[in-house]
Amino acid sequence: MALLETRELSKSFGALTAVNAANLRIEQGTLHSIIGPNGAGKTTLFNLLTGQFPPSAGQILFDGRDITGTRAHRIAHLGLARSFQRTNVFPAFSLLDNVWVAAFACSPSWRGLLWRRTDRYAEVTARARAALSDVGLAERAHHLAREISHGEQRQLELAIALAAAPRVLLLDEPAAGLSPEETRRMVALVRQLKGRYTIVLIEHKIDIIMSVSDRISVMHFGALIAEGTPAEIQRNPEVRRAYLGGMAA
Amino acid sequence: MLAAVIVLPLAVRPAIATEIWIFAIFGLGLNLLLGYTGLLSFGQATFFGSAAYVAGYLLKHYGIGLFPALGVGAGIGALCALLVGYLCVQRSGLYFIMLTFALNQLFYFVAYQWTSVTGGEDGMPGVPRPPLLGIDLRSPLAYYVVVSALFLLSLWAMKRIVESPLGKILQAIRENEVRAEAVGYNVPRFKLLAFVIGGAFSGFAGVLYAMLFGIVPLESIGFVFSGNVVFATLIGGSGSLYGPIIGSMVFIWLSESMSVMWARWPLLLGVAFVIVVLFFRGGVVEAWSRLGKMRWRFSKRAS
Repeated sequence: MALLETRELSKSFGALTAVNAANLRIEQGTLHSIIGPNGAGKTTLFNLLTGQFPPSAGQILFDGRDITGTRAHRIAHLGLARSFQRTNVFPAFSLLDNVWVAAFACSPSWRGLLWRRTDRYAEVTARARAALSDVGLAERAHHLAREISHGEQRQLELAIALAAAPRVLLLDEPAAGLSPEETRRMVALVRQLKGRYTIVLIEHKIDIIMSVSDRISVMHFGALIAEGTPAEIQRNPEVRRAYLGGMAA
Repeated sequence: MLAAVIVLPLAVRPAIATEIWIFAIFGLGLNLLLGYTGLLSFGQATFFGSAAYVAGYLLKHYGIGLFPALGVGAGIGALCALLVGYLCVQRSGLYFIMLTFALNQLFYFVAYQWTSVTGGEDGMPGVPRPPLLGIDLRSPLAYYVVVSALFLLSLWAMKRIVESPLGKILQAIRENEVRAEAVGYNVPRFKLLAFVIGGAFSGFAGVLYAMLFGIVPLESIGFVFSGNVVFATLIGGSGSLYGPIIGSMVFIWLSESMSVMWARWPLLLGVAFVIVVLFFRGGVVEAWSRLGKMRWRFSKRAS
């Protein structure tokens, strides 16, 4: 059974149909990528999956449970964590506080919410530190988020998602705006996380996608037009016409 | 802070010193919204005034004790904040500010019209200052001791709150609302919680204020009062726990001492406010820490 599934999921903004009857199945433990040209509706699909806004039609199932229309903060508690395409952190917080807040949100109990000092939550702090070291930022824990480089902010973006100890990790272009060297590091990082989490990845850089993905879905004008292994997708004539061909030309 | 509590009545009259700490408690309540959650509540006097009226009425007509009055005040402040906050957190930005202001005006006009209870424009005089465990509090110094102890207690409570997970979550909402929601916090619910706690502190201060002057003046629920506490907090520094305390020292001291000498003293406040906004966004607290850094650099160069 698929861990995360959408059935005929649609979202319209006025006359624009950003996502059109999408049927997506994400199997447990896989790295499933979603590719497609700019404006194909990939980020909108993520926003639907994480409850940023409700769909116009269709269903979302997580672990067999209908979560359609559930609000974003509830979805996070169910175990879906996302990173954002545009860096979206807490700028005036230290890196540790950035991940701490995310780790606390999904801790099993909020006892002492109003009066216990934050440094008395050993389990939450340990989880936060683990998330930082997973992305290689452990040494910078006490720097402020607004003072680190763009590449490091992208790593932090990922760490915030990891800190929630999610069951599914939704990564929206983790390598956006990174230098070739930083991109290599990010790809290595995603590869490390593969297997530990079920990952849904949106990415533009086609070579990254082909090398890390188990499955690939192709999105074009809001619709999912193909799905398969990297090799199958490369051979698919419709995909070549819609996307790969368009890039080569 | 303990030293400040002891020294202050030597520097100014006990009544003024008392008013400073009361205003500081009021500011602590506002600052949870303004400084920590990033919500500009322009109607904090709603909670201050409502609590003062209700507790004042019970003190005057039913002769309740000091602690019940304070409990009622904090409760009324929290309850009004729950109502007002529930409506306000649905909106953000300018609309949020205007809603807090409009609801403040609504409460003000209720107090203004309901003369049989509130005394309307004349205020509600004759609020007694009940004894504490048999100790008479009618002397200004005795009341000062009680108020300053309650102030220290409030400061301690607020310190616990801002250093708790809640404090961190509210700051996370201030920093980035969308991300706070995405990592799993019900943002409107947390804003409402900040309102209720801030309202309780403000209501608590309102009752102390009524007992200080023996009257609940109509202004105590008016928008000028709401503006004053925002103003004092910004001057002191909204980013820190101690900002509203320093702000209320500056504000009350200036308004009490200057108003005797010079009727147009608010001009001075205007100038102070412009300086803060242009040069020291973090208020007196930031100015002080910058001064400290400058001295440190200077001494390093000298050695």
